[in-house]
Amino acid sequence: MSTLLNISGLNWKVPNKTILQDINFTVSKGEVIGIIGPNGAGKTSLLRCIINQANILTSTNTSGSVQLKNRPITHFSAREIAQHFALVMQKNDSIFALSVQDVMKMGLLPHKSLFSLDSDYDKSQIELALSKVGLSHALESLFNQLSGGEQQRVLIARALVQASQILILDEPTNHLDVYYQHQVLQLVNKLNITVIMTVHDLNLASLYCQRLLLLNKGQLICDGSPKEVLAPEQLSNIFGLPCQQNIDAITGATQVSFYLKDNCMQNITTSEPLSE
Amino acid sequence: MSKVSTRLFTLLMLVIMSLFAAITFGPADIDSSQLLACMIGSCQNQVADIVIWQVRIPRVLVALVAGMGLAIAGAILQNTTRNPLADPYLFGIVSGAGLGATVANISLADNLTIALPLAAFLGALFSVIIVVFIAKVLQRMEQLLLAGVAVSFMLASITQFILYFGEPFATNRVIFWLMGSLARVEMSNFYVITSVLLIAIITVLALHRQIDALLLGDESAASLGVDVDKLRLLMLAICAALTATIVAYCGGIGFVGLMIPHIVRQLIGVTTLKLIIGSALIGAIFLIWVDVIARSSLPHAEIPIGIITSALGSIFFLFIMYRSRAIT
Repeated sequence: MSTLLNISGLNWKVPNKTILQDINFTVSKGEVIGIIGPNGAGKTSLLRCIINQANILTSTNTSGSVQLKNRPITHFSAREIAQHFALVMQKNDSIFALSVQDVMKMGLLPHKSLFSLDSDYDKSQIELALSKVGLSHALESLFNQLSGGEQQRVLIARALVQASQILILDEPTNHLDVYYQHQVLQLVNKLNITVIMTVHDLNLASLYCQRLLLLNKGQLICDGSPKEVLAPEQLSNIFGLPCQQNIDAITGATQVSFYLKDNCMQNITTSEPLSE
Repeated sequence: MSKVSTRLFTLLMLVIMSLFAAITFGPADIDSSQLLACMIGSCQNQVADIVIWQVRIPRVLVALVAGMGLAIAGAILQNTTRNPLADPYLFGIVSGAGLGATVANISLADNLTIALPLAAFLGALFSVIIVVFIAKVLQRMEQLLLAGVAVSFMLASITQFILYFGEPFATNRVIFWLMGSLARVEMSNFYVITSVLLIAIITVLALHRQIDALLLGDESAASLGVDVDKLRLLMLAICAALTATIVAYCGGIGFVGLMIPHIVRQLIGVTTLKLIIGSALIGAIFLIWVDVIARSSLPHAEIPIGIITSALGSIFFLFIMYRSRAIT
């Protein structure tokens, strides 16, 4: 598989705090990568650096490089970055009554010139993307009236219309119930494009990601398959809870369980906070 | 033809009909045959010819473009700030214009025909520069509206201070100007407002997708390649120039920018292209007819147009509040 992204020696420090420290990894075409770790580990900050949001990488607080197809991401314009990366965030709300079609048309923006109107081809791409996420019927529906899971699927469909090579998702399953969590991640998994996402639920990350990056306090602790990354000792050290790894009987995926025993509770309450 | 296209076409027809109908209203007694003859250039009555070409037509045309401009400015501000209550007047534009007009009235007794609109325009731009500067210093562009309200009160208090100590005749002139009127507009005013309006429309049409991207949040828009702060500043500058030009010639006409986009969202749609076209058409119809009411309701006097728009606007505002209460 060819290398799409190369992150090397990435550091981000603000006064009195290290947000990211010496992050190194590569992303190959077609990989589905999950970034996991406790709250405040730097997961979302890493995503922001990858897409050079608000020109973070040109600030004096950051060092290291992010290269897309062997070219520094800082050399790409905001429009070019949008042509390569599609971002789906935790929650998007609009105060105005946008239809699903209106939201989908936003995905065309990075490829459109000034004054341009929608073509028949654009309309067919929108319909195709919505059919891929199973929402063909919702074209005229109001975005704000859809369920959280449906909204996430619309935003993933918008990302498909954006025709980017890498899909970035920041906690795509937050605010969703169990059914929609699986539905959204299964959909992402089947898109056959490169995906980098932050996931809070370790078992969901294991089930739907080929590769996991474990972050803690801004450092990349482990990079590998779910089985390697979800090693019980490692997770116990980071999350401060006893952990057990097992194989799910139905899916065959590596799963982890944490226990909060009485004696552990005493340790937790008397030790330093586990996360920020 | 889609439902939206049909509605837009109907509105366009209403604009054209309103233009012609509004010319028939006025204190001078001109019947329809005379009116038609004067409009096609074969007028027998010279007085009627002057009334139609130098009074009524400029006035109706200025109402057309002023209504379009104020409604478009409101629509742009509401979409770029994602705030349905955004209105050009909340950014201190009228207060700035009022201060400019006051200074001109007090310090320049002569040449007010040119000095008053010019000073009002400069005052309006001055207020917007202060608002943007404050928002920049705070590094919170979303606080533009709050900064606008603060600047508006500050400039209004300076104006009132000057007026309190000013000469009574000049004070009266400023107060009447602030109430808004199309009574003294000329054809040249129409050309100036139309030029700024065209620049605003062309810019917004070019950037309509970028403005739409803001509707789902700044982060979402930035991920689609939009430079959010630059776009918002550009749109604010356009709205300021548009509103300042209109206010300079027509005085204070409030609530049009707040009210019209709300109606357009119900009838036409929420995305920028639909909102701008719809606001232009409904804004034009609205102001043409409000001006007709202003000049025809009382037998020997005019009601300042700003009084009517503010009265209608406040009722409309309460209606929206009541309706949203009923929905929630």
